[in-house]
Amino acid sequence: MKAASFLSGELRLYLVAAVVYIALGVAVPDFLWSWVEGAAFLLVAVWIVPELVRRLR
Amino acid sequence: MSWAAHDLEPYAFQRHFGRRIAFVPLLVGSYAPDMLSKWFVYGINVFGVELKADDPVQFHRGWPGVGFTHSLAFGLLIAALILLVSGSRIWAFSFLLGHWAHSLTDVGDTIGTMLFFPLSTETIGIGAWAYAGQVGRTLDAGAYYSGLGFVWDGFWIAYGLLSWRVLTRAYFRETIVAADPRFWGWCGRWLPETALLVLYRTSFFYGSTRWAAWLIWAHVVHDFPFDLSWGGPHWIPAAHD
Repeated sequence: MKAASFLSGELRLYLVAAVVYIALGVAVPDFLWSWVEGAAFLLVAVWIVPELVRRLR
Repeated sequence: MSWAAHDLEPYAFQRHFGRRIAFVPLLVGSYAPDMLSKWFVYGINVFGVELKADDPVQFHRGWPGVGFTHSLAFGLLIAALILLVSGSRIWAFSFLLGHWAHSLTDVGDTIGTMLFFPLSTETIGIGAWAYAGQVGRTLDAGAYYSGLGFVWDGFWIAYGLLSWRVLTRAYFRETIVAADPRFWGWCGRWLPETALLVLYRTSFFYGSTRWAAWLIWAHVVHDFPFDLSWGGPHWIPAAHD
């Protein structure tokens, strides 16, 4: 049950974020050097943006 | 040197140690040996002035240099300081575990690490993949992701995926926070749980995505040849001890 909910909701967001991050990294490798930038990207992609979308609905 | 392994190994330890370790010092320990030195190995440009070690290999892994940060004794020293300052055995142990994992992982390249400094300045390495930090970070990336280094990182990604339970919200609540309630409780005063969970998962995300990105960059965008032979890739002038 826990696995199912993880797969259905959060994992989808992380997978989209991963695809975007990989694409950005391949296009601009400088983006791949900083853990802090990676963390900021992930926070924006799976917390801030979904939270804004939820509030705007 | 290793790349994504340092991001991913802490999750493997987490799976096995559970509440006996604290994740944050474990992760800091895993990054610690390179934390203050890597930029000077590759060099950076500040307002047109290039700052870079004259001998990046000697600086990174040797003595004189900051190679002592990869020694077992250095990890022990910092862990003792953590114990002294924080009084937390779990923080000290977790840092030590992360630090030693890093030091032992870097034994895999052609330089190795001064594991037994200050007793010995000899570097110990098994030479599985080429150390090429001295050629600059971009070429180093191409080399690392063409040799056994990327296989080594891939192993940790696979192990992490098999340990997927450590990445779940339930595990975060019941194990990660429970093992270190003071730190996560303090963070929880400023950020919601979803954000804390993102921060907890960041290194796994960062390690696995950049592994994929560098592989694509090296072998699809560019044409760096794979060379999975021991000590490879041999098309790069690897540094040896």
